[in-house]
Amino acid sequence: MKLVESTRIKEKAYIEKLNNGLTVIIIPKENTQKKYVIWGTHFGSIDNRFIMPKTNEEVFVPDGVAHFLEHKMFEQENGRNSLDVLMSLGVDANAYTTNNHTAYLFETTNNFYEALDELMDYVQNPYFTDENVEKEKGIIAQEIGMYDDDPGWQLYMNALDCMYKENAIKIDIAGTVESINKIDKDVLYKCYNTFYNPSNMTLVVCGDFKPEEIMQEIKNRIVEKEKQGEIERIYPKDEKGINKKYKETSMPVSKPIFLIGFKDENTNKDKVKKHIAIEILMNMLVGKSSPLYQKMYDEGLLLAPLDMDYEFTNNYAHVMLTGQSKEPKKVQEELLKQIQNLKQNMDNKYFERIKKKVYGDYVVEYNNVADIARMFLSDYFKGINSFDYIEQYNTVTEEYTTEILNEIFDEKNMVMSVVNIK
Amino acid sequence: MINETIELKEGIKFHKIQTNKFKTNLLAIFLTMPLTKENVTKNALLAAVLRRGTKNMQTQEIISQNLEEMYGAGFDCGIEKNGDNQTIKLYLETINDEFLPEKEELLKKSFQIIFEIAFNPLIENGKFKTEYVQGEKENLKQIIEGKIDNKGSYAMERCIEEMYKNKAYGLYKYGYIEALDKITEEELYNHYKEVIKTCKIDIYASGMLPQNILEMVKENESIQKLQERKVQINEEPKQLIEQEKIIEEKMEVTQGKLVLGLDVDSNIENISYITMCYNTILGGGANSKMFQNVREKASLAYTVGSNYLKRKQNIIIRAGIEIQNYEKALEIIKQQLDDMKNGKFTQEDLNNAKNLIIATIENIPEEQDTQISYYFGQELANTNISTEEYKEKIQKVSKEQIVEVANSVKMNTIYFLRN
Repeated sequence: MKLVESTRIKEKAYIEKLNNGLTVIIIPKENTQKKYVIWGTHFGSIDNRFIMPKTNEEVFVPDGVAHFLEHKMFEQENGRNSLDVLMSLGVDANAYTTNNHTAYLFETTNNFYEALDELMDYVQNPYFTDENVEKEKGIIAQEIGMYDDDPGWQLYMNALDCMYKENAIKIDIAGTVESINKIDKDVLYKCYNTFYNPSNMTLVVCGDFKPEEIMQEIKNRIVEKEKQGEIERIYPKDEKGINKKYKETSMPVSKPIFLIGFKDENTNKDKVKKHIAIEILMNMLVGKSSPLYQKMYDEGLLLAPLDMDYEFTNNYAHVMLTGQSKEPKKVQEELLKQIQNLKQNMDNKYFERIKKKVYGDYVVEYNNVADIARMFLSDYFKGINSFDYIEQYNTVTEEYTTEILNEIFDEKNMVMSVVNIK
Repeated sequence: MINETIELKEGIKFHKIQTNKFKTNLLAIFLTMPLTKENVTKNALLAAVLRRGTKNMQTQEIISQNLEEMYGAGFDCGIEKNGDNQTIKLYLETINDEFLPEKEELLKKSFQIIFEIAFNPLIENGKFKTEYVQGEKENLKQIIEGKIDNKGSYAMERCIEEMYKNKAYGLYKYGYIEALDKITEEELYNHYKEVIKTCKIDIYASGMLPQNILEMVKENESIQKLQERKVQINEEPKQLIEQEKIIEEKMEVTQGKLVLGLDVDSNIENISYITMCYNTILGGGANSKMFQNVREKASLAYTVGSNYLKRKQNIIIRAGIEIQNYEKALEIIKQQLDDMKNGKFTQEDLNNAKNLIIATIENIPEEQDTQISYYFGQELANTNISTEEYKEKIQKVSKEQIVEVANSVKMNTIYFLRN
């Protein structure tokens, strides 16, 4: 087991790649009763075209397969449902699908090993039939309908449409009613056999564990499968520039909501360091003590600071600032003004203050076993060791941050999506 | 984990929760007073005005800057209904000094800031700053009006209002627009002075706390200025109604919201633990009778479940249903209540319910704010039950006891929000 640690916050993680290719990450937390386990596969909504390592066959799958698979994994033979089994153990269990991974998890203070039996059993033993696949289509169609009614989701999808002409991130996670209708049991098995091979999966546990012991417990529950090579994923080619500057729609909202995005085209450059700089910049531009927020609050144009997010993988990266205002255009104009101000004068005191705030945000993540495990899993699929955010924090200088400001917060990379009042 | 309570002055308590589970220290101040029609809106407005500025930090911007300087300390201030009482809650979360890149005395500073916000507000010409009061009145108005945005919680709120008509517990915690319009800066400040003089004050600190923490609190000027006070937890006697009420309300909704309010009328020992098990079997989770019968078997509801309001001994059942299924849903729900009365549930149902409740109890020390809320609940109820004792009490609940409680449950109000 390889040990990585952060001396500053006094946390450790043990990482091992097992013989079958499965990566296991163990983060011991001595003083907590709560235990969390999350098992993820590097398979998300963007993976719709790939080459199966065993047969070299190139496969196109309908949009929404990763999510469909997630729904179907709980169902076992004889009508047994693993989610119900976990619930009756007093365990809080769930699953989710993102753009680039799917994860199965539970959190508990009791019956941990019984629950681990169930989790590792259902994830390794799919049970798809024509009948149960057909039944699920109605349920997922309802879920898609729910997203169609969700202004926040439409806002986000429209922003992506502004930033990208042809990028797999534009695929709706749940797919469309049309695409999911093309899904059958064979497609699910094909995807399962490719992406749920241990070599494409990572299991993270966090809680009061002795690393060797929990490692052995995990190994004892593994069903041996033939190790497979790298899966070649085929994505649309990287494209330069944005697709369009602006997109709007109307829905029942009490006040317009808006998303201002900045596309980042250098997706592979020092990811962690850049991410820290972007966190600092977003806080300086639109955070709680920012000149923009104070001004907009006083004018009644914003009631709360904007939500900020930097979303990235190897295939896409963008800053997203989301908020609600009766005049989104005015907020955007003010933002551009503030970006110019900051480019001309990176106020040193302000920078240092926000840098401290961002450090605090990172440390708070380590309060809770669920946050820790989820963070390690999603960072791992991005090729990142989560502790690096704490360890590299001091290398982010004012000069470096200014460089990132000039590179990313540029009007030519900027898009805006608005949902108006219907 | 060590919990210790020190009475600083009569009516003012400091509670220390020593725990090494977290990277942060969490401080909280709770100001508790009786819930009344006259003051409910003023208290809600007060909570909002306090965070706008203090004597030494006159604007929200300066407060934010101070918090950022403290490694992004998290501050939150809100209002809550606790039985027949209303509590203004202030929280401040900071990183424990041990995990900072440089040595600083963050905890001491945290106390100064949270005390300053609670006890040293910005006063101009003998009243709160006009601009702040007017601005927050506008914001609070939006919150009160926004009550109808979330149809599910609106329906529940309305059902409770009907159950407790003209009683304290029927009041909306954010108050009423008619009352809001009339509040002046002066009146609000006078009200604030009265609150600070008379309310029950509880100060909580949770985290890896230093030896001298009590001194930090005692030496604070704002704390020293506070005077002792006689406090009492407000508790109105429970009145059972003779006949159930049926209320229908119309609004533009696609999904109907059915809410049933029930009274638990029993004085059996350990009533709250037994009712907790009863409620969990009835509508606590995916294994419950409601979920299995209303949703899974009859496919009548998207969401269905029940809640137990311990302080008022009520069960609230909620279901989101197709409007035309009202009769059918009601029938199935009533059937479940009857089944509970007749003991039609298995030992396995009871064990599952206990597992679920125990998991919730075990989670209490795992989250700082949950733990503080737990102890505050004990403080208000004037009990002192450790989470271990709590679990034992749940373990001891028997099927017979649940059937006894089930037979004391009476329908109070049936509320239906429809188009």
